[in-house]
Amino acid sequence: MATVTNWIDHLSAEEVVGAVYPGAGGSEMTLVIIGIVLWLGWHVLTARSESEELSRLARKRHGANDHKSNITDW
Amino acid sequence: MTDQLGALTTIFTEFYYWVTVVLMFLIHVGFCMYEVGASRYKHHQHTLMKNTMLIPLVTVTWFFFGWWIYWAFPTGPGIAPSIMNESTALITDESTFSARWYVAASEYMAINLGDHISGVFWAAFLLFSWTAASIVSGAIIERITTFAFGILAIAIGSVFWTIDAAWGWHFDGWMLKILGYHDAYASGVIHAIAGGFALGVLCVLGPRIGKFSSSGEPRNIGPRNPWLVTVGLFLIYTGFWGFYAACNIPIFDLGPEYGMEGVTYWTATNIYVTPTTLSGITFNFLMSLSGGLLAGYWIAKGDPFWTYSSGLAGVICASAGNDLYHPIQAMIIGMIGVVIAYKLHYWVERKFKIDDAVGAVAVHGYAGFVGLVICGFVLNGYPSSGYSVGAMWDGTTYASINPLGQFLGAIIMFGVLGMLPGYVIAKVLHGMGKLRIPREVEIAGLDYEMMESAKSDEKAVSSATR
Repeated sequence: MATVTNWIDHLSAEEVVGAVYPGAGGSEMTLVIIGIVLWLGWHVLTARSESEELSRLARKRHGANDHKSNITDW
Repeated sequence: MTDQLGALTTIFTEFYYWVTVVLMFLIHVGFCMYEVGASRYKHHQHTLMKNTMLIPLVTVTWFFFGWWIYWAFPTGPGIAPSIMNESTALITDESTFSARWYVAASEYMAINLGDHISGVFWAAFLLFSWTAASIVSGAIIERITTFAFGILAIAIGSVFWTIDAAWGWHFDGWMLKILGYHDAYASGVIHAIAGGFALGVLCVLGPRIGKFSSSGEPRNIGPRNPWLVTVGLFLIYTGFWGFYAACNIPIFDLGPEYGMEGVTYWTATNIYVTPTTLSGITFNFLMSLSGGLLAGYWIAKGDPFWTYSSGLAGVICASAGNDLYHPIQAMIIGMIGVVIAYKLHYWVERKFKIDDAVGAVAVHGYAGFVGLVICGFVLNGYPSSGYSVGAMWDGTTYASINPLGQFLGAIIMFGVLGMLPGYVIAKVLHGMGKLRIPREVEIAGLDYEMMESAKSDEKAVSSATR
């Protein structure tokens, strides 16, 4: 996985390769796809849990001042 | 980097932008404090998290496609040819400033020993993106779902503002060439568009419960914690220093850039690569801030919330031309922007029943719009670019700054790329039933379950004996 194994060899090359991260030159597109899946997946998961939370709370029909009995003193 | 002077210039520029990013982080801290201070107790935690989560959402999408849009879209596409390749297509060729280098899978979107600027420049623009989304966030507190806000934040932060930046901020942007558009510190490209976008969303979202009486009279829902609002706005002021610095290029030799044979002229430039000085814009930043504060204190009769916001509105209004104004011009322009923004806020609220919880549409949208228009008159005749001065509508050369071009530019920023997309996306989310929280939750408070759980914990701990 290591792109660089010897800095002296790397920096003294006729043309120094700039990209030094692991997997440089072949893994970028795979990483982007993984990143997009994680991003979209986050939306799906959090949207679902938010909908459940809002529905649950709406069913309880609390009054506008009910939250005041839940204010903590600590 | 093999010669020491070139290395110093590059490393200085790299560090310069890095510092602006750190400073601009304070804008977001300020926005979070401001919003929490302005919201009511029962909505505090959700309000904070809504604004906080735009950080990762806009950041990852800015990485995936937002930055690419900025470099690809200066020509429209199809409106004016690029000065780099003379094509009106998307700029995706092999040229130096092509979007090709900024696709998410590019080797320049990572640590690269041959590129010291892309990352910090990307981040500086990203912080502008956060600001755009955060402006929208404040206006819509206490009744929008976090899901809907996330979609809207990505839309304004990683799509629409970056299109407007490509059109009106990029040195190759078609709005410079055809309209002579000038907006050095983002009166339009950040503030007018974000304010317009927020207004579009508010039209669909509707007011908070209780904001208007049955006869339609607006009621004041004042900030729960005015001191948090105050500190938040002070932090936004502080972060604005970084914003201004980030809109400049710190050191540039304009001689060869403009093709002037044998001429060397090192200077700071604005985003359009025309000369200005960090020293000069410091005069103007502070004088426009002062103009805004003076006018705000007067017109709001000393109300702290509006006075602080007016300081910001003063800077925003003068920002379009603060690279060239005299400091007293900047001050007067700041004052004019505040008076118009304040009056318009209450007129729109009363007339159209728009509930802008923090005055974001006024402070950013109206002040930004007015600032662009005023800039067209005060800087009428200045070149919008250093590359080639031409006539309006020409398209192959750059038009001079002029009142009509600035007015049309303001409409594009506020209306076409701001209000219209905000309205349409909010309509779609509303149609899906995902835009607004249920009425019962708004009354009970978004934080009800969190507070209930905290109270339960407190009871358990206080009754414990070991």
